[in-house]
Amino acid sequence: MFEPAPSFRDPSGSCCSFQGRTLRIVTADAVAEFEQFLQTGCARQLLAGKQLVATRRLNDNEAAALRATPGLPPVFHTQPAGAIFEHERIPFPSYPQEWPPEMLWAAGRLTIDLAQAALADGFGLKDATPHNILFRGSEPVFIDALSFEQRNSGDPIWLPEAQFVRTFLLPLLANRRWGLPLGELFTARRDGMEPEEVYRFCGPLEKFTPRMLSLVSIPTWLARKANPDDRKIYQPHLLTNPDKARFILESLFRRLSRMLDSLRPAAQKKSVWSDYMAAHSYDDPAFTAKEKFVNEALREFNPARVLDAGANTGHFSTLAAQTGAAVVAIDLDAACAGAIWRRAREQKLNILPLVLNLARPSPALGWRNRECPSFLDRATGAFDGVLMLALIHHLLVTERIPLEEILRLAYELTDSLLVMEFIEPGDAMFRRLTRGRDHLYAALDAKGFESACQPYFEIVRSFALPGTQRRLYCLKKKTSAT
Amino acid sequence: MTILLAYIDPGLGALIWQSAIATIVGFVFYLNKTRRWIVKTIRKMSGFGPKTTAISPKISISPERLATKVETKTEVR
Repeated sequence: MFEPAPSFRDPSGSCCSFQGRTLRIVTADAVAEFEQFLQTGCARQLLAGKQLVATRRLNDNEAAALRATPGLPPVFHTQPAGAIFEHERIPFPSYPQEWPPEMLWAAGRLTIDLAQAALADGFGLKDATPHNILFRGSEPVFIDALSFEQRNSGDPIWLPEAQFVRTFLLPLLANRRWGLPLGELFTARRDGMEPEEVYRFCGPLEKFTPRMLSLVSIPTWLARKANPDDRKIYQPHLLTNPDKARFILESLFRRLSRMLDSLRPAAQKKSVWSDYMAAHSYDDPAFTAKEKFVNEALREFNPARVLDAGANTGHFSTLAAQTGAAVVAIDLDAACAGAIWRRAREQKLNILPLVLNLARPSPALGWRNRECPSFLDRATGAFDGVLMLALIHHLLVTERIPLEEILRLAYELTDSLLVMEFIEPGDAMFRRLTRGRDHLYAALDAKGFESACQPYFEIVRSFALPGTQRRLYCLKKKTSAT
Repeated sequence: MTILLAYIDPGLGALIWQSAIATIVGFVFYLNKTRRWIVKTIRKMSGFGPKTTAISPKISISPERLATKVETKTEVR
């Protein structure tokens, strides 16, 4: 599996993946503060609630053994006096460009809650970006434990406020107000949106609404009037009264918290695909038979890690999660992924929903394309069960992906089970997608599909859904493609 | 925050706006403080001071638990 490059922005240390472990080197001058934070009541409470990534310091022997391991990133050698910590590994890392708005909101909620909680112990967050957070199933986990630093008790300013606004509030606002897809935003930008950019989208009257005034218009007007070379703006203005400084910060966090709440994505959002479960082309017996087939395959193979590709609102992801599997549910529709997240959170299901088009999966991003690995780098071999239900016609027709290619990708994604729904070109939904190009798929039939599967999978069993032109296949991966 | 390690972009307009709000909220801090002092003084002067038996609003004890505590105290006696 591809390992991302060590992090490099924080001067206090660096974090990286190495041989399946998540390691962090903390510079000698920052170790004491870091360990002090881990001992605070706030950190202990967050660790107990699994909201903060579990962290332990390697002892001298472990650190020496690690430093002697070939291939260890150079950053561990350039800081010989630094201490090495190991974090728990969060399964299947995901990034803001793959989250539905609901997950970005949850990440923002956790960030502001942690900033508030740490204040009581005299600590503060030194950055506030969604990249500090990963999701364990549907639950956000703060992974950048080094983001906490001891705050100057007289400082009434929270420097990351602007970053919190840029990376949480303004993207949520633009998504809610103008439907801006978060995937496009965070694929192109690491640090969100500037108030000046949002200002340009606003109508003349909208600039004066209370929310826009505070988040967008006033910061834009002030930036225009201010002298950007004035160093005084960035100098800390320390107060002599620490109670006053804390009162001001608490007030700031309450204000940001209220703004975040006002931008919470609405439940029951409608989209092209959000009503699919109510409007699909199966009748009840066919759908029940489909459920039974998938359930039997899951119980027989008992996969621990399942990818549900084209998950829609997560009906079959839920079935898989109920068998005890950790599920990654992908769908290109953000409203569907959001609905899965809500359901997973309500029912405490181990499902990680992502907004993702399998035909255009998220690319590797960041400096040298090594900060966020691509979806396929993370997904290849990461699952022992893959569900591809009612998906193949979208890939074949809408995306024009050859059948052989689809099966090869499925072969690379799963270590064992593939449950695939084959849809005949005569199917009503298939024909709706072809839009008169039926001749391109005239030769496609179940027999051809089965022979295309042969190099990659053994057909364990198949089942024709009654009253439809659809057939379900339970496929087992061959040890090597023939 | 330690200014040396503040490596993120603090914005320009956003930082000035935060500082402006901080000034206003700082004023509210003193207003609150003054209001509390006035209320305290008036209560003291009029003899309506805070009751010593009052439980802090932050601590909530259920009636059942309170009853158990009273019983335990009686038994000890």
